[in-house]
Amino acid sequence: MLDILHPNISNINKNNIDINLSEEKIKINIRGKNKEFFTKVGKILSIILPTESNTSSSNENYDVLWLSPDEWMINFDENKNSNIFDQLYKDISSLNFGSITDISSQLICINIKGENIFELLSSGSPFNFEKFKNNVGSSTQTIVNHIDVILHHKSKNNVNLFVRRSFSEHLYEWLVDSSNFV
Amino acid sequence: MFLINCPFCGERDQSEFSSGGEAHIVRPKQPTELSDDEWAEYLFMRKNIKGIQFERWNHVHGCRKWFNVVRDTSNDKILSVYKMGEKPPVNYK
Repeated sequence: MLDILHPNISNINKNNIDINLSEEKIKINIRGKNKEFFTKVGKILSIILPTESNTSSSNENYDVLWLSPDEWMINFDENKNSNIFDQLYKDISSLNFGSITDISSQLICINIKGENIFELLSSGSPFNFEKFKNNVGSSTQTIVNHIDVILHHKSKNNVNLFVRRSFSEHLYEWLVDSSNFV
Repeated sequence: MFLINCPFCGERDQSEFSSGGEAHIVRPKQPTELSDDEWAEYLFMRKNIKGIQFERWNHVHGCRKWFNVVRDTSNDKILSVYKMGEKPPVNYK
């Protein structure tokens, strides 16, 4: 029986591919397009939102992923800045400059590391990873094994894969199984 | 299968997209003044031509944005892609 709150994802190493769960990540979805929105987010996070498609911005505390022209995802460790959601909500959402949603419980972050990770992802995705794998900081939304995912190329051959919690075990099992064949 | 150049994300496989049918259908300003036939014409009747067609597509597994596409239905060639609200390219009319 699937436990959706605590998916059964353990650390695996196969064919130079490490797959493990990064459960501690806080994820916040932010949407907005006016000048006040960009100014407030920049001030609170000390980061400029990426406006180029399929890119991300990072500093020592946060990773901000471009999702669409007016939508981004912020993710960070819960130990750091635990009140950042309240601050963003108070300064942006409650003043109607944009919308702030905590999606930490919605998404699971699976970390995949190793030399063959792009071969593994390519085997179940229509996305062309050629440009993605050469650019650290790239992000994209696509499908892997028919499941919607958000991918973030965090460092060389190190990808964070965000997937809906209810799909996470199934995708994890597919990743582990497929890593036998790359 | 074919590739679609999403105006926001770039070139992606067709499987990431969902078709939204014919583009540039304008909702009547006064629906109550229409006859049943006129309302049915607006609601249900769509072109299904072999050749150049203006369509709406949604990047449903990507940025989730809607946009317009000019597609030749006879060979699935995408001739032009433009954002919602932009005027359709005149050279395909």
